[in-house]
Amino acid sequence: MTLKAYVALHGRQFGTLFGLIVLCAVMWILTPHFLTVSNLLNVAEQTAIIAIIAAGMTFVIITAGIDLSVGSVLAFSGVVLASLLQKGVPLVPALAIGIGVGFFTGVLNGLLITIGRLPPFIATLGMMSVARGAALLYTGGRPISGFSDSFRYLATGKPLGIPMPVLAMLAIFFMAYFLLTKTKLGRYTYAIGGNEEATILSGVNVRLYKTLIYGICGGLAGLAATILTARLNSAQPIAGMNYELDAIAATVIGGTSLMGGEGHVFGTLIGALIIGVLRNGLTLLNISSFAQQIIIGLVIIVAVLLDMALKKSRR
Amino acid sequence: MENNLALQMRAIRKTFPGVVALNNVDFDLRRGEVHILLGENGAGKSTLMKILSGAYQKDSGKILLNNREIEIKNPRHSCELGIGIIYQELNLVPHLSAAENIFLGREPAAFGLIDKKRMNQSAQRLLAGLGMDFDPQRLVRELSIAEQQMVEIAKAISLDARILIMDEPTSALTEREIKELFARIRLLKSDGVSIIYISHRMEELFEIGDRVTVLRDGNWVGTHNIAEVTKPELIRMMVNRELTQQFPKIKAPRGREVLRVEGLSRNDALTRISFSLYEGEILGISGLLGSGRTELARAIFGLDKIDAGSIQVKGRLQKITSPRQAINLGFGFLTEDRKTQGLVLPLSVQENICLPSVERFSRFGVVSNSEETEAAGRFLKDLRIKATGLGQRVIYLSGGNQQKVVLSKWLCSNGNILIFDEPTRGIDVGSKAEIYQLMNQLTAAGTAILMISSDLPEILGMSDRILVMHQGRINGEFSAADATQEQILHCALGEAA
Amino acid sequence: MKKSLFIMSAAALLLFSVACQRNQATSDGRPTIALVVKTLNNPFFNDMQKGAEEAAKSLNVHLLVQAAEREVDVEKQMQIIENLIESKVSALCITPSGSKEIIPAIVKANKAGIPVVILDTRVNPEALAAANGKIAAFIGSDNLEGGRLAGELMVRTLGGKGKVAILEGIPGHETGDSRLKGFRQAVAGSPGIQIVSSQTANWERDQGYTVFQNMLQAHPDIQGLFACSDLMALGAVEAIRAAGKTGKITVIGFDAFSEAREAVRKGEMTATVAQFPADMGKIGVESAARLLKGERIQEEVTVKIQLITRDNLNSNKP
Repeated sequence: MTLKAYVALHGRQFGTLFGLIVLCAVMWILTPHFLTVSNLLNVAEQTAIIAIIAAGMTFVIITAGIDLSVGSVLAFSGVVLASLLQKGVPLVPALAIGIGVGFFTGVLNGLLITIGRLPPFIATLGMMSVARGAALLYTGGRPISGFSDSFRYLATGKPLGIPMPVLAMLAIFFMAYFLLTKTKLGRYTYAIGGNEEATILSGVNVRLYKTLIYGICGGLAGLAATILTARLNSAQPIAGMNYELDAIAATVIGGTSLMGGEGHVFGTLIGALIIGVLRNGLTLLNISSFAQQIIIGLVIIVAVLLDMALKKSRR
Repeated sequence: MENNLALQMRAIRKTFPGVVALNNVDFDLRRGEVHILLGENGAGKSTLMKILSGAYQKDSGKILLNNREIEIKNPRHSCELGIGIIYQELNLVPHLSAAENIFLGREPAAFGLIDKKRMNQSAQRLLAGLGMDFDPQRLVRELSIAEQQMVEIAKAISLDARILIMDEPTSALTEREIKELFARIRLLKSDGVSIIYISHRMEELFEIGDRVTVLRDGNWVGTHNIAEVTKPELIRMMVNRELTQQFPKIKAPRGREVLRVEGLSRNDALTRISFSLYEGEILGISGLLGSGRTELARAIFGLDKIDAGSIQVKGRLQKITSPRQAINLGFGFLTEDRKTQGLVLPLSVQENICLPSVERFSRFGVVSNSEETEAAGRFLKDLRIKATGLGQRVIYLSGGNQQKVVLSKWLCSNGNILIFDEPTRGIDVGSKAEIYQLMNQLTAAGTAILMISSDLPEILGMSDRILVMHQGRINGEFSAADATQEQILHCALGEAA
Repeated sequence: MKKSLFIMSAAALLLFSVACQRNQATSDGRPTIALVVKTLNNPFFNDMQKGAEEAAKSLNVHLLVQAAEREVDVEKQMQIIENLIESKVSALCITPSGSKEIIPAIVKANKAGIPVVILDTRVNPEALAAANGKIAAFIGSDNLEGGRLAGELMVRTLGGKGKVAILEGIPGHETGDSRLKGFRQAVAGSPGIQIVSSQTANWERDQGYTVFQNMLQAHPDIQGLFACSDLMALGAVEAIRAAGKTGKITVIGFDAFSEAREAVRKGEMTATVAQFPADMGKIGVESAARLLKGERIQEEVTVKIQLITRDNLNSNKP
């Protein structure tokens, strides 16, 4: 493939990357605090949680689905993990169960959608409330706090000077990239979103793969819960509210179409970084949280407008 | 002299980056005539019509409407000028009534409220003028495709359209409905409405057309009175080569039985269907829309549950409950609708071809790109698929090439019992011939083909044997060599064979 | 493509213009003190901001005020503090969104050598000690005392006998927990007072309405309500109005917002416990400024707290 053809095919990602670079340049001009190694790592660390959730969201949105429950699933996974750790369950099994809770909640979403034939919006809207309620009920509404240093290392550790959440984020995105582009699962993800009926007719067990994809999304919310809990040294049943919206925003800014069949996971990473850089930069500039919301909203709108303009010009 | 001309397009030129879509094309339209616009896909027919309907702007050239030069600015403007267009995919709102669709955006109002009574009466009058007598309050989604088309035409007429563009209007209609449509077109003609008619179906052109203009690769090739040209001449003008036979059937030797269906039933759709299919054979399945042809294909392919009956594949009894199982047994299913069922449009040629076979190209869930490229590349070459490469998205391919991708998909999964449902619908003449050639090659290699088609000449021209279905049953069997269109049509209408 | 470039540049321009309106960055040598409150869509914190701004003006220090959109968003508050540390502020005044969740952020500030003054909501002392975190001072009201004052008034008003409901804050919030504890201690001495229902309304007005409406359904004979914040109390006042029981139920709130004072004046509420957030903001900034000058400061300042009833309404403007 020639470079030109490659750019034509993946132009959208370059557009997003270009946007991120422009944004960074603007921030660099406006504040001397932005372009420092420690601040950039800081941005990456702050982005990690939303980015990891958004990686799972990308899978789901490529299948033309949506998962509104990730924020609540994060809270539920987090409190289950926290309670296990406090009861003295060793780290590895506790982590496995915590992430497993996320995975199984996701699988449940998948089954409601595939076997129950519910629209993804409705199934996960319901699950959003169920998982939140489960987290509140499980904890009596109280946060669970105070963990061992070895657990907290998952958020506070800095091997080679890079914060653990950033390492986890990078690892997840490389894995997601591999899954989406090199494996059967990835191929079917795109195919289901592009044309579910044609995929069924091609002999693909769509129910199985869709369920698995929602499971992956839930599992990644569980992983994000682990990092969030370690970072705050506390698991809150009300954690992760509105995270689903941030994750959807990151995915959409990254060029994944809500119509399904199209999208790239690294676009999502860039999308999450754009939101992270904006929040960071606007705080450095001391712009009020009210104005920040306006700017972030405008960026989402502009990103999608740009996407549509680019697609049109390629026709 | 030119008083009789409703429309003249002179030396129309339109380019897109890197392509000349129309190269100084001339086209004119007399009052009250049906002017056929003919050409292969990509010949420039749609571009020309899009310029007329205001969707595109021409680069140069002149358009004269009633001998006055005009510039068509946008689709709304075109509409105001009295040009109506009936698209192949109908543009109606399914959950609104026929009357509401006809008057959408300009409902007759009284005191700011929609005057439903007046609207329904006007709609009824319009439809009656077209010889239709159904209730205009019925929802569009409950109407047949033919009736929906009439709603579109009524809408255009209510907008005072004097020029109607009809793009493949018969592609989804049954024979009887086509006859009725033609009657309405004649009615419109007598009212002085001029019609530009785009179709691939040769038979129709001679029946309904007055003149024909042929385009090829963006160039005007010729305009003739229908009475003065023959089918082979037109085909030659379109493809610039003689297609010696429209149906180049080569009979392959009949091999062993590969499929035996006995007593297959599924609720109301299928009743005690029995037949056999042999290696190297094309078994045509004819019948009207809704006679159970597609349902039969779906049941065999494991998409729908069967209530009774048995299926034997290559001599062994099989219970097929999923497409996966059918594919593993060697079945392939080229569905009636490529875009909604056959292809994943945003994916590449390679990804589409390999979709049913990903399993075979994977180890531990990881897909081998090189094996896929090799396999897909072979089909790209063997089937002469015109694409910029394996990475091109199938959405950008023409209908004929898309159909070849679907076929490749089933050849790649080693399909040797192929079900073709309307294999050449909406495909231009050149590609049609290529698809037929491929079917010959397949049968020569021993593949068995079950071909469902509404196109009677196609069924007669390509099949070895023909089964005719009526209301979920097989109503007759013919040998293609000595059956006639009339016999099959009678049988399809329910008369005993 | 031209269009997209246009959109892109328009966006950049917008960003730039917003950025230009920002408060002047500290380039004049004055120290910068950052005040991070829970949220800015709550009058309590607006008052705190005002007090802090007054103090900053008179002391000639530069003040930044930041907050998350949602009061309970501990992660967002942590991100804001991290970003402020990156922009090298001189001192931080924080009202923690979570008593324990704030600690990692405090530890980060400690490592960067930035002193931290905590306002309003107490940090969990054991957890802070366990994390080796250090705060320079705590400035806040005695919420326990406030709860107790409310409880005593409730007992007096009901004559030591009656059914009482409680609207709690979010469990785990030190302020709400202390108010609740104080109130319960005060009424525990009167066996005639029966607490029939005690539920959280998550600090929110709309939930105050629905939760109390449900309580009234279950116990139509409720005579008294203590809400751990005025927002929840004002929600409940609406529910009482809808039930046609205005004035028949003793409602005591907490915070003494202007709207709550108005409700007390009209007799819709019996009392509200006044805190003085403006004082907290003022003392917070003053303490931080003194710290930066190298002066010693008091490690714990209790800001006055007072019961506002119809009788003392006018003599106690905030």
